[in-house]
Amino acid sequence: MSTRNDIGSTLVNHWQRGVPVDSKTVMTPVLLFCAALAAIGLTLAVVRFLSPLGPFSGMNDAYAWGIWKTFNVMTLTALGSGPLAVGMAAWVFNRHKLHVVMRTALVSGFLFYATGLVALGFDVGRAWNLYNILLPWRWNLHSAMFEIAFCMPTYCSIFLAFECLPMVLERFYYTRTDATKAFLRRIAPRLRRIYPFAITGAYILPLMHQSSLGGLMLLAGDKVYSLWQTPMLPLLYLLAAGLCGLGFVTVALCLGCLRYRRPLDISILSELGSLLSWVCFGFVALQCTDLAVRGQIAVAFRLDRMSALLLLQIAMILAPAIALRNKIARETPHTLVDMSILACLGGMFYRFIPTTIAFHPANRATYFPSTPEFLMASGYIALGALAVALAVNYFAVLPGDLEEWNHMFRRVRRSEPRVGGAQ
Amino acid sequence: MSTAMNRRQALLGIFGLGGTVAGAIAAPAAGMEHPAHPVAAPDAVAMLYDNTICTGCKACMPACNEANGLPADTSLSPGIWDTPSDLNSKTKNIIKLYEGDSGAPDFAFVKRQCMHCLDPACVAGCPFGSLEKNQWGAVTWNPSRCIGCRYCEVACPFDVPKFQWDKWDPRIVKCEFCYEQRLKENRQPACTEVCPTHAVIFGRRSDLLAEAKQRIASSPGKYFENRVYGEYEAGGTQVLYLSKVSFQKIGLPKLGTTSLGHYATKVTSVIYKWLSGPILVAVLLGAVIKRNWNRHEAESAELEKRTGLPEQL
Repeated sequence: MSTRNDIGSTLVNHWQRGVPVDSKTVMTPVLLFCAALAAIGLTLAVVRFLSPLGPFSGMNDAYAWGIWKTFNVMTLTALGSGPLAVGMAAWVFNRHKLHVVMRTALVSGFLFYATGLVALGFDVGRAWNLYNILLPWRWNLHSAMFEIAFCMPTYCSIFLAFECLPMVLERFYYTRTDATKAFLRRIAPRLRRIYPFAITGAYILPLMHQSSLGGLMLLAGDKVYSLWQTPMLPLLYLLAAGLCGLGFVTVALCLGCLRYRRPLDISILSELGSLLSWVCFGFVALQCTDLAVRGQIAVAFRLDRMSALLLLQIAMILAPAIALRNKIARETPHTLVDMSILACLGGMFYRFIPTTIAFHPANRATYFPSTPEFLMASGYIALGALAVALAVNYFAVLPGDLEEWNHMFRRVRRSEPRVGGAQ
Repeated sequence: MSTAMNRRQALLGIFGLGGTVAGAIAAPAAGMEHPAHPVAAPDAVAMLYDNTICTGCKACMPACNEANGLPADTSLSPGIWDTPSDLNSKTKNIIKLYEGDSGAPDFAFVKRQCMHCLDPACVAGCPFGSLEKNQWGAVTWNPSRCIGCRYCEVACPFDVPKFQWDKWDPRIVKCEFCYEQRLKENRQPACTEVCPTHAVIFGRRSDLLAEAKQRIASSPGKYFENRVYGEYEAGGTQVLYLSKVSFQKIGLPKLGTTSLGHYATKVTSVIYKWLSGPILVAVLLGAVIKRNWNRHEAESAELEKRTGLPEQL
């Protein structure tokens, strides 16, 4: 124990590094179910691409955006903002303990973004015109939609992918031949030199597009109910991304460690819980101040459907904010997980409400997602869950104790030789 | 260390260059950013619709369909007549009837089509400029730039743009002021040309606004609120309405006088001007991260010496 504390202030953890999972089965029944759901979803997505949008979805001219955009993209990428929230805490605000959980954040964040982009790709009606992203003279620089269409794929495919690269190369390093090893040793210093610049970009871009997602609803004007239509939408969406990101990483760490029988590191989890609580407080403070400044307090307490929705949403974020200020609550895993889940749901609820529930076009039309819409939306999520589980099994994602590290990465094929073990 | 600094300077240089390029692109657009109260161009055209004159003959509807090559929407009259229930992907122009509960004199027609806003929300939101404010102020749609994101439908305060949900190659359907097929040939739109009672007329916006105010002045009390709908709504539109009943009764929404484009971009247009906000934050974050990174590298080198394991990223 004492030796650990000598190592250095940025690395004092029970969780000391990502350690690959090497237990027996990968494809559990739950994962097989995910795989089946993903297969159904993607098959439907291909069929959707060959057919008009109408018969596939409950969308109509009044509710032109369905759950593929409003849930898979606008809501779920908030959960995928872990790399932004945890990364900024670790690298900018010097919460050194959190470096070791970055990989969990990165893998889950990458997959939420990637599946969100897949959802977006199958949602647009004229996907063949997406090449316009490459023609700068056609960009509408005033459009939040353009900002998202440009920024989100760039972030996911370049910056987030680059941040995830070390854990892939690490696996190659320990499982491939000596030539690969030598090559990786040669390029590692170069990657490390680019890395700080890459992560700077990896924080700027999501700061931009996570706020633009809120900016989208500004143009909808009075169609969005007055409790939610505010010039603060971009900032509130960004804060909601922050709290969802922190909350989801906490939940993912706890559930992952439970599933693969890893010990928990309470000091790191407590740090995450504390940060989560402050972001939740910040969010609620901003939302309430904004309501007061816009003179909406009376509307908020009308106790009709919309006001109940707002009060419920605020309570869902305020409860974890208050609860997690208590050190004992933060250090009790089940309370921490419960409160993190509540915060995530509150943040997701906030991001979903203005797009659909509090969105009232003049037309009397209604929207409820059709079965294929639900299947495709859950297919994308299942695909992400499956990929996270595989990543945890084949790469050193989940944090563990230094003593657990044995260079033993799970083999992809049985015939593949087991290299490593000796340094 | 020196190489790192060089690299850093190079990167900052790239950021700077990117900013300059983006600025050069943004500069022409910056001139026509979204003002709160846009001013109509001198050559802006308009329609003026007066429902005290309209007899509801619907001559404008087949004329519109013919000019735009639209099929008849026969969904309410099994395959017989063109009977759209509202603007839809087969209908760019429609005459609707408002009828009050009390019966007798409380009724009015309304002609609905794109309002051709002075600062349209659809144009402000359209990511690749498929919808654009064209010559004479006509709001037109360009098929080669549209990705089918349907943001225009979410943004439009008048619920005008419609999407072809039933087509593999869906288009956005909305009145384009007969821009391609008639305005360019110096002819007025089909609907205004065919209107037998001149309930809807075509002309320069400034002229029609004067005409509308003249009508109000000559018979005070005849028109609702003695005002022209569209003069200021959502920053002003190029379709103007005179109505004998309340505008909300005939389905025209109650809107503020500021353009939605202005509301949506007033903050971001400052932050994103020449990308200065993002660049500033990038430089600040970059400096902090680099400092913390160097410290982290030193500590992980020490760790590697102790444990024999390289630090993970």
